Amino acid sequence: MSLHSPNVTFHERVEGALRDEILHTALDRATGRFQNLRVTALASLPDAERVRDRARLIRAHTLAHLDTYLEQFAAKVEQAGGQVHFARDANALNEIVLEIARQHKVQSVVKGKSMISEETELNHALQAENLRVVETDLGEYIIQLAGETPSHIIVPAVHKTKEQIGALLHEKISIPYTADPAQMTAAARATLRREFLNADMGISGVNFGVAETGTICLVENEGNGRLTTTAPRVHVALMGIERIVPTLDDLSVMLQVLARSATGQKITVYTNLLTGARRNGEGDGPNELHIVLLDNGRSRVLGTEVAEILYCIRCGACLNACPVYREIGGHAYGSVYPGPVGAVLTPALGGVAQWSDLPQASSLCGACREVCPVRIDIPRMLLVERDEAVRAGKMAWWLRLGLRVYSVTATHPALFRLATTTAGWGTRALGAFGKGWLKRLPPPLNGWTQSRDFPAFAKKSFRAQYRESRHAELIHLDDNAFRE
Amino acid sequence: MRDDRAAVLGQIRIALQTAHLPAARATLPLRVGTGQGDTVSLTERFRAEVEPLGGMTYVARSDEQAIEIALKVLASAQGKELLAWADDEIPVRGLGAALAAHAYTRLDLAMPEDADARRNKLLELERAAAGVTGAQAGLADTGSLALVSAATRPRLASLLPATHLAFLKTSMLFPDMASFFRAHPDVTRDASNVVFVTGPSRTADIELTLQRGVHGPKFLHVVLCDWL
Repeated sequence: MSLHSPNVTFHERVEGALRDEILHTALDRATGRFQNLRVTALASLPDAERVRDRARLIRAHTLAHLDTYLEQFAAKVEQAGGQVHFARDANALNEIVLEIARQHKVQSVVKGKSMISEETELNHALQAENLRVVETDLGEYIIQLAGETPSHIIVPAVHKTKEQIGALLHEKISIPYTADPAQMTAAARATLRREFLNADMGISGVNFGVAETGTICLVENEGNGRLTTTAPRVHVALMGIERIVPTLDDLSVMLQVLARSATGQKITVYTNLLTGARRNGEGDGPNELHIVLLDNGRSRVLGTEVAEILYCIRCGACLNACPVYREIGGHAYGSVYPGPVGAVLTPALGGVAQWSDLPQASSLCGACREVCPVRIDIPRMLLVERDEAVRAGKMAWWLRLGLRVYSVTATHPALFRLATTTAGWGTRALGAFGKGWLKRLPPPLNGWTQSRDFPAFAKKSFRAQYRESRHAELIHLDDNAFRE
Repeated sequence: MRDDRAAVLGQIRIALQTAHLPAARATLPLRVGTGQGDTVSLTERFRAEVEPLGGMTYVARSDEQAIEIALKVLASAQGKELLAWADDEIPVRGLGAALAAHAYTRLDLAMPEDADARRNKLLELERAAAGVTGAQAGLADTGSLALVSAATRPRLASLLPATHLAFLKTSMLFPDMASFFRAHPDVTRDASNVVFVTGPSRTADIELTLQRGVHGPKFLHVVLCDWL
């Protein structure tokens, strides 16, 4: 899955997701649980609101000086013996990683979780050169074996039942069938351990790069991140150019809100700080560290009204809070970045013309802004992109015509009265069989009734009712006035 | 190899002229104080944080007590081969001798340069039953150990085996990560790897059911050395 829009339309994907019972139950459980855990975890942080304010200040300040901090970061990494590469776009990143692999005669690669690698479809590029690529996060591994894509940012295989996973492991890695999560986890550990120890290259993501020290920070719970960055000879870390913080102190602030917002933990089991290559006679760890910084549209987004989306620290809290995401899940968005953040980021990076549906996939309820650890105003940016989509001509002709008709009608009272009376007759006639509800509206309004019924207009218009009730109320008030 | 550094930085500079960045300031306000606490309360907090995560803690009041605890913990691991930090890196005097006396052996952790030799080395280390390490610090507010890599402090000792036994001086407990960084501003300059370990390895990737010991250690034992 990438930023290239898939063949099926957004509406087809949404319909598929809405029909998927297993997905529904799983999403309900996961998003509900993460929301509760998040609230408890933030409550455990003294002064959580001030920490969030500071986290926001740090992200905003860093982006306002991104050129300076990136240069400082790169210089510090190089001073510590690491190598830094900038990639303008997805192809450039894949080319750089392949070149490192060729130089080191790499045959097998283990991967920790990396959104960047999904954005650039790195696995395909590596496999095309006959490299063996194994995902090592348990959820990602299951998804890779199944040939699918993640449905949730924190629990990628949340849409699969334990029975389905048991059958999958039985088929793909030839272990006896079991639906016991403990046994399945143990089997995966044994299988993946061999992959770690045999791999020539480890590829990981990066949560934060620290400018003052040239350190990359990687958080995880399983230990696959540690193994990926310790066992193989070469470590390649992939990061977006926006993921910088100025200092270690700033990092400690971001870490106070990241895990709490993501999984409801105070901190993840492993918080890895990696600075440069192995040094001072250190006995283990990789011989070389390469950090590849991906632009792929980010520097362009930085110059726009939606630059604030680059504050995102990828915790996933907005997904769990979003009533739309909770119904349709990650796959329906069709992008590697789903949910509210993805609805802004995907069109920003990939073009509003191609992704005009995504900013519409929101009721603008504001739950995402409420839970965001750095208080990103996602609804504001959804509106900016909707506006942009309309300006780019991404509006159906009938909607454009309809709105024009509406604007004329709504500004001429006589016409408005006539229209509501007519619509009243029409809907009541159509709704006569549905006890006042219309199962289907005529085209082009049938889209609205695809997943809900439309109420027939009331016999008396609101204005008529208001006039009558106001009259009655005034009489009533007069009566009461003397009883006080 | 291709490098788009100049192009990307140039594009960023152009973008910054029109960027709409709410809350951006030229400088960040100074941060006022981090957490505080004496050794006793920090020890209590550390234990209260890590135990619910499945980490076992013990308070030892002497070298002898620490060794006694270590031998009990190691007896529960299957095998006699260990991945361990150098004796000097573990604050308990006499631990090395006691382990040797109980027939424990240590595997040599230095990685050869050659790719095949490295692979074989890793497969050999995979046999170890337990890893024995010190810790440069503890973070009380999260129950985390700070492990800082060095020639005498290999990373794999706390990672490959199913059991990780760590010794931490209680005088090295900090209230939180920020106070640790303040006390050790150069910690990342001198080590390629600093890892904060908080409880045993875990996952909830299958139907959100908690499983411990997925890729890292399944058991974490922390001996808090109270006299140090």
